[in-house]
Amino acid sequence: MHFIVEPGFFSSQPVHVALTIGGVVAVVSAAVGIFTVIRGQSFAGHTLTDVSTAGGSAAFLLGMNPLLGFIGLSLVGSGTMDLIGVQRVRGRDLATGIVLGASIGLAALFLYLDTTTRATTGATQQILFGSIFTLDPGEVPIVVAFSVISLVALAVIYRPLLLATMSPDIAAARGVRLRPVGLAFMLALAVSVGLSSLAIGSILSTALLIGPAAAALRLTKRIGAALITAVAIGVAATWVGVLLAYDSYYWGSSHNGYPVSFFIVALTFLIYLASGLPARRAATSAPAKRH
Amino acid sequence: MRPFEGESPRRGRRLAAGALVAAAMTAATGCGGGARVADSVGSSVAPDSGVINAVGAENEYGDVISQIGGRYVDVSSILNNPNTDPHTFESSPRVAREVSSAQLIVQNGVGYDDFMTKIESASSNSARRVIIVQKLLGLPTDTPNPHLWYDPTTMPAVARAVSTALAALQPAHAAYFQAAAAKFVTSLNPWLDAIAAFKAKYAGTTAATTEPVADYLLTAMGIDNMTPFGFQADIMNGIDPSPEDISLENGFFTKHQVKVFCYNQQVVDALTTSIRQTAQKKGIPVVGVYETMPTPGYDYQSWMVAEVQAIQSAVADGTSTEHL
Repeated sequence: MHFIVEPGFFSSQPVHVALTIGGVVAVVSAAVGIFTVIRGQSFAGHTLTDVSTAGGSAAFLLGMNPLLGFIGLSLVGSGTMDLIGVQRVRGRDLATGIVLGASIGLAALFLYLDTTTRATTGATQQILFGSIFTLDPGEVPIVVAFSVISLVALAVIYRPLLLATMSPDIAAARGVRLRPVGLAFMLALAVSVGLSSLAIGSILSTALLIGPAAAALRLTKRIGAALITAVAIGVAATWVGVLLAYDSYYWGSSHNGYPVSFFIVALTFLIYLASGLPARRAATSAPAKRH
Repeated sequence: MRPFEGESPRRGRRLAAGALVAAAMTAATGCGGGARVADSVGSSVAPDSGVINAVGAENEYGDVISQIGGRYVDVSSILNNPNTDPHTFESSPRVAREVSSAQLIVQNGVGYDDFMTKIESASSNSARRVIIVQKLLGLPTDTPNPHLWYDPTTMPAVARAVSTALAALQPAHAAYFQAAAAKFVTSLNPWLDAIAAFKAKYAGTTAATTEPVADYLLTAMGIDNMTPFGFQADIMNGIDPSPEDISLENGFFTKHQVKVFCYNQQVVDALTTSIRQTAQKKGIPVVGVYETMPTPGYDYQSWMVAEVQAIQSAVADGTSTEHL
């Protein structure tokens, strides 16, 4: 048992908080991620992570809870992208690119002010790469509340969103109002990105958003099954990542351990690579049926 | 507002012409700028008038320079804001200007103020004297704890080195500098006595810290710092400590294993804040410790005495002194 789970894992409070927040965030990220991938909005999702970097660093500067900064500014960012024209395929890259550039500039300013005017030593590391073990237990209810909001919003718009994603023309013909549905999804995406920024860092949160969903969509084309698979992959990668980070303390004599965000992202990436294997085997055994 | 500041005497004629123009403009507009122009003409010959420009990379070293140099030095300190973390300091043109005009510089070393070395090599000046405290004490560059000023043996050595350097710059005042250094070393005695008295009574007392800033002082006082150095180094370097170390650190308070918690007021994040709250909740007294001398109101000696007194009253009466 010691080879897999080092002593004290189940009684450690930082581990409890990490497993709870990591698990909840992984569920939201995977569910939102499925729609992000099939709508082709991965770039928009990544841009929102950069926006949330600016939000997190501003929150540090103001002495606020970083989660509110992450989520607050991603909401503003998603609204701005909608305004500039993220709905239209032609305007999409432009809108996201402009918001991305502006928000990284703001993040640079805020992080500079953080480190030069306040005693916030770890701010840059914490915002960019996360620190799930150092979160306060009081953070759990806030994370759960935002997660529920995001999931409920997704459930409410689920059917029109699916139709609007698969065939916008039919959806429009059936009276689905594409713009409000798209905006509602962008807002759910913004909350999800803010949550994963807190868990694994704003720069890495794209990985948790896109990775499990992309892997699941390689394994199944049925949307319901893909949702469940993505959630399972996301939660598994997060929890095993937390476990490995905890165990890594005992790997060397220096007792430093390795960052949990690295493990989560590495596992997500490995699962994505592995998810290509069944399709490849099917392709080699029945080449005629390929796509 | 001081248009001619920094002009070299070589350009005296242009300066004088400028002063004339400015004086004429002053006369025309009736405002009081004329005196200022005259001032800056005076200060442009300052290097020859007998005041040594000195820089302390951290204000505790700046304080020692000014105590020894007295009226013969003009000291500025680079790191002097008690609300920021010197570990993350970013240089600015102001710093570059102060360093390039300095004749004597005292810096800590051990990687704590590497930016000073960079600026010094960018504005090389063979006449400038640089005292690197780490080298003065014969410590290696990879010394784990860079906070040398909390070590009681550090400042006497710095004081003597400063007095020697000032004497070389102004041989006429050598006796003054030597006497001032001797007086400074003697003035540390109340601090050393307080350390000895604490050690005699409370040696073996347990403490927890967030960061190694005051560790040399704790060692001198005979205090056993329970916090693993890996945890302290992680906080100092702004990276996340391991969950094992976080649990261990919180356990010192929940299990009442330490008598005092030394909290670095300049290296603060969400984790150190939540640890401090745990200590407060469990009734463990908190003592604030600093990277730079908390000003105004303190010189180096009184700051160090105040730290020892704060730790003593934490251990003896359970009193917190979160801010000096």
